[in-house]
Amino acid sequence: MFESVEMVQKQLEEQGYICDKRIATVVFLANRLEKPVLVEGPAGVGKTELAKVVAAATGRPLIRLQCYEGLDEAKALYEWEYSKQLLYTQILKEKIGEVMQGTGSLREAAARVGQQDSVFFSEQFIVPRPLMHAITTDEPCALLIDEVDKSDPEFEAFLLEVLSDFQVTVPEIGTFAAKHRPLVFLTSNDAREMSDALKRRCLHLWIDYPDEAAELRILQAKVPGMDQKLAADLVAMMQRLRQLDLKKTPSIAETIDWARALLALNAESLGEQAVRDTMSVILKYEADIRKAQQELSRMMTARAAVTPAAVPTPSAPAATGTPPAPVAPPKKGTLH
Amino acid sequence: MQRKIIEFANLLRKSGLRVSVAEAIDAFQALEELSIDDREVFRDALRASLVKRGDDVPTYDQLFDLYWSGFHDNLKGAFEAAAGALADDGIDMEQLLQKIREMLESGQVPEGEVDLSDLARALLTGDLSELEQMIRAAATQAGVARIENMLQIGFFGRRTLEAMNAEGATRELRDLAARLRAVGMGDAEAEAIGRLAERFFEALRQSVRSFMERELQTRNFEYMEKFRREALFEKSFYSLTEDEIARMREVVNRLAQRIKNVMSIRRRRRKKGKLDLHTMLRRNMARGGMPFELVFKEKRKDRPKLVILCDVSSSVANVSRFMLQFVYSLQECFTKIRSFVFVAELGEVTQVFHDHEVGKAIEEALEGGGVINVYTRSNFGMAFHTFWRDFLSAVDAKTTVLVLGDARNNYNDPKAWCLRDLHNKAKNVIWLNPESPSAWGFGDSVMDKYLPYTTLAEECRNLRQLSRIVDKLVL
Repeated sequence: MFESVEMVQKQLEEQGYICDKRIATVVFLANRLEKPVLVEGPAGVGKTELAKVVAAATGRPLIRLQCYEGLDEAKALYEWEYSKQLLYTQILKEKIGEVMQGTGSLREAAARVGQQDSVFFSEQFIVPRPLMHAITTDEPCALLIDEVDKSDPEFEAFLLEVLSDFQVTVPEIGTFAAKHRPLVFLTSNDAREMSDALKRRCLHLWIDYPDEAAELRILQAKVPGMDQKLAADLVAMMQRLRQLDLKKTPSIAETIDWARALLALNAESLGEQAVRDTMSVILKYEADIRKAQQELSRMMTARAAVTPAAVPTPSAPAATGTPPAPVAPPKKGTLH
Repeated sequence: MQRKIIEFANLLRKSGLRVSVAEAIDAFQALEELSIDDREVFRDALRASLVKRGDDVPTYDQLFDLYWSGFHDNLKGAFEAAAGALADDGIDMEQLLQKIREMLESGQVPEGEVDLSDLARALLTGDLSELEQMIRAAATQAGVARIENMLQIGFFGRRTLEAMNAEGATRELRDLAARLRAVGMGDAEAEAIGRLAERFFEALRQSVRSFMERELQTRNFEYMEKFRREALFEKSFYSLTEDEIARMREVVNRLAQRIKNVMSIRRRRRKKGKLDLHTMLRRNMARGGMPFELVFKEKRKDRPKLVILCDVSSSVANVSRFMLQFVYSLQECFTKIRSFVFVAELGEVTQVFHDHEVGKAIEEALEGGGVINVYTRSNFGMAFHTFWRDFLSAVDAKTTVLVLGDARNNYNDPKAWCLRDLHNKAKNVIWLNPESPSAWGFGDSVMDKYLPYTTLAEECRNLRQLSRIVDKLVL
């Protein structure tokens, strides 16, 4: 249990998740009000990660439900274990004969069977799926419903009961209410707008790309062995790239990947060559890479012009002596 | 506090955000859990519970600043200024107030004679929250809801002051001075009270004025926002500016998404296949024919295909700009979609849309996408004929053909039989025409010739019509 907004921030930071006050406030409220949180934002800003670290910080096990098109009740809520039921009927055939013994009329036999039917529709034959599992589990847990926007609109209807009352109704048995209300996180990439009914039941959190300072802190927390200057350069570059009109804007996940890639390559500074070689880590489309490289050359030359000595890049020899010459447009199809 | 939150929720609603009562209740609960001293936390807590769409966040932020801009601070500022002014005259306001309060409480003034109004009392005790409440109430009473422009600030301000009887309170304070003098207060101090009353009145006047200004701002904002939205929906495609087209992008995306949703539901209904007895028996042979494993017949996958023909001639340039945006969004939603543009010649732009981001793609398509010459006069007959000749194979029984154009054919041969063949082959032919039906068939319009061969032909001149059509569409 969190005590204050600052505590949330601190505890998440201990788990290696740097967040601003806004995120902390919402997490705190979700915890206090026992309400689900709908987390939206561009891909790779740490939506799923948030759920994971909150689970870790509160010491709850995390139950995860990955949504996709065509996800239905049977895979999200519960399913009757049909073959087990069938198997039991087969095994119990003789027993059924015994039970039926001495019944005179069909009506009487039917009544006798009727008394027993709850045996075959009992909890024993239910396969709980993530949602049901989160409700019926004995210890408090955290439930992550990932990429809820990928599911079909009808699926939201199943969610409503779970999210507002924390219960699951199985028509044959009855209603299972949660022993402990789970902490629920729903994440969405905004592929489709969620219904108002769903939104109304949730607190809403919009996570955007972090600003430069925050991103630097995240990077330092995630990739500890990194050179300060390199990290700062890298983050500045990412911030710059996000300003471009790209098909797929690189996110924090890409920043971290990139940092790791540079570290693996033993790059000491963000030289043009190093950037070119690793560009494919952050940008996923050919057109984006082309656009970014143009921007990059511009940035590099500008920087080289300001502090020629301070930037010992591998490509520096080529640049020295000659004034910032326009770099030849990158060849198409050289990077993937 | 609750009142203010409800009022704020109302303000959000008027600006087009959807805020339900349940969400307002959440906001109360959230504030109970938090200390509201921290403005940022307060703002975030309200946002988390009231605003549920990322797109609405900028509006919310603006309104938050406007609404919670600390009228309280304003009020405080005005009274501090009053105190400052008194200090310049050599009077310490706090001490003076303290003295008055003491004299009142000590009962030196006969009971009944110090029957001060609430306002005067609030002024003397420096109770700013109470004052704020009073100004609010009085402003409501003065009908501030009707304020519309700058010129009315003075009028409503006066009425508000009247409603709270500000002059009365000032007079009371002066009377009080006279009475206090009677029971032994010094002349200088009594005179100071008189000046204090004046300053208070001035501070009050300023506060009311700033309240009015703020009120006007919020109302203006509501008005502007609403107006902008409404206008966007009703405005004819012919007269859209670039900026408006950009703003429409989101709406259009949502429409395209809605089409996809409708279709995915239809597909899912088909999904429940029937029990496949044959396969089931064979597969369960090993279990003595007991049906342990149920086998259903293959789900019939009904993936609809879409072929779009979009007129990009200069007569409908703006409309087609918009339509292309719609087409682009559709193409992102569907896998099986082919897009064509035409003026007289017809060419495929599917790849162009695929390769470029929306703005560039549309520019390219309007320029003919490198496949057609756009600087000719439109000729629907020729375009349809080209399609019939080269691309008819793209159309099958699952295909919906969407034609976007005004059917102004420049008196060329309409070649309606091409569309007829298309109609025979395709599942649906839908025609969206930016002209109103009364103009169809007049002048060089050949819409009437094409009409028999469409499944649905609709006027589509603005967003509202388009969204209505999307609702109607069952592809």
